[in-house]
Amino acid sequence: MKNTLLFTYGFLILLTISTALISNLVTVSGLAVGLIMGLSMLKFFLVSFQFMELKKANSFWKGSLIFVLGVIVLVFISLK
Amino acid sequence: MDTLKINYKSIYYPPGGILMWIIIFLELITFGMAIVVFAFYASEQPELFHHSRMQLNSTFGAINTVFLLTSGFFMANAVHEFKENNLKKSSLYFKLTMLGGMFFLILKSVEYYHKIEAGITPETNVFFTFYWLLTAFHLVHVIMGLVILIWTNYGMMKKKSDTGVEDIEACAAFWHMCDLIWLLLFPVLYLIF
Repeated sequence: MKNTLLFTYGFLILLTISTALISNLVTVSGLAVGLIMGLSMLKFFLVSFQFMELKKANSFWKGSLIFVLGVIVLVFISLK
Repeated sequence: MDTLKINYKSIYYPPGGILMWIIIFLELITFGMAIVVFAFYASEQPELFHHSRMQLNSTFGAINTVFLLTSGFFMANAVHEFKENNLKKSSLYFKLTMLGGMFFLILKSVEYYHKIEAGITPETNVFFTFYWLLTAFHLVHVIMGLVILIWTNYGMMKKKSDTGVEDIEACAAFWHMCDLIWLLLFPVLYLIF
């Protein structure tokens, strides 16, 4: 359990650094926006499923969270 | 200490409690709608949004993300230690969680100070109206989270404590919600436009 948390934390930090690097190194195009939002979604799910232990919850809660975040990010990217 | 086994697979008992998850969804939808409206305005005034975004310090934003993720990691450990009946270790992790939150507040205050010094207020333009409203609303959540952490840690360490796993998980869920909201705000405000 503790190792899983530590691994998740390390991965989250790596993703944060990657996101910052992408935004600084790549011209913010449609692809970069998709990449940045995709990595942010991944971080979001790592925190909710691992740190908040949503992985143990009923599928309703998992599905609802994926749906709500998916809609927000999709609408955001389509407007961008 | 209450060590009642919780059936997390039941729809009524997600980790943190059903009421906390209803709050989390309401918060996500509220911030999500604001982000969508923000993107709509950005599509109408792309140059203004790009120019304004370049005035934000993305390094501050990234460091604040690390602070919140680190405090979230300590929070998850605090819950784990509490379930293992290691109250002292759990309390230590609670304090480390609070420290992460305090660092976030300090850096955010420095960022706000720089903005005010540069004359950037909510009235500057529509980008900064959203920047101030969204980050300040999030900041209120972090402050509220810190109060809940202090209170829960105090209650947990009292002699004859009646703090149970559900209380600790609810407290943790609120704190992680601050992480989740920030994980949406950081790329939208600091990186994309």
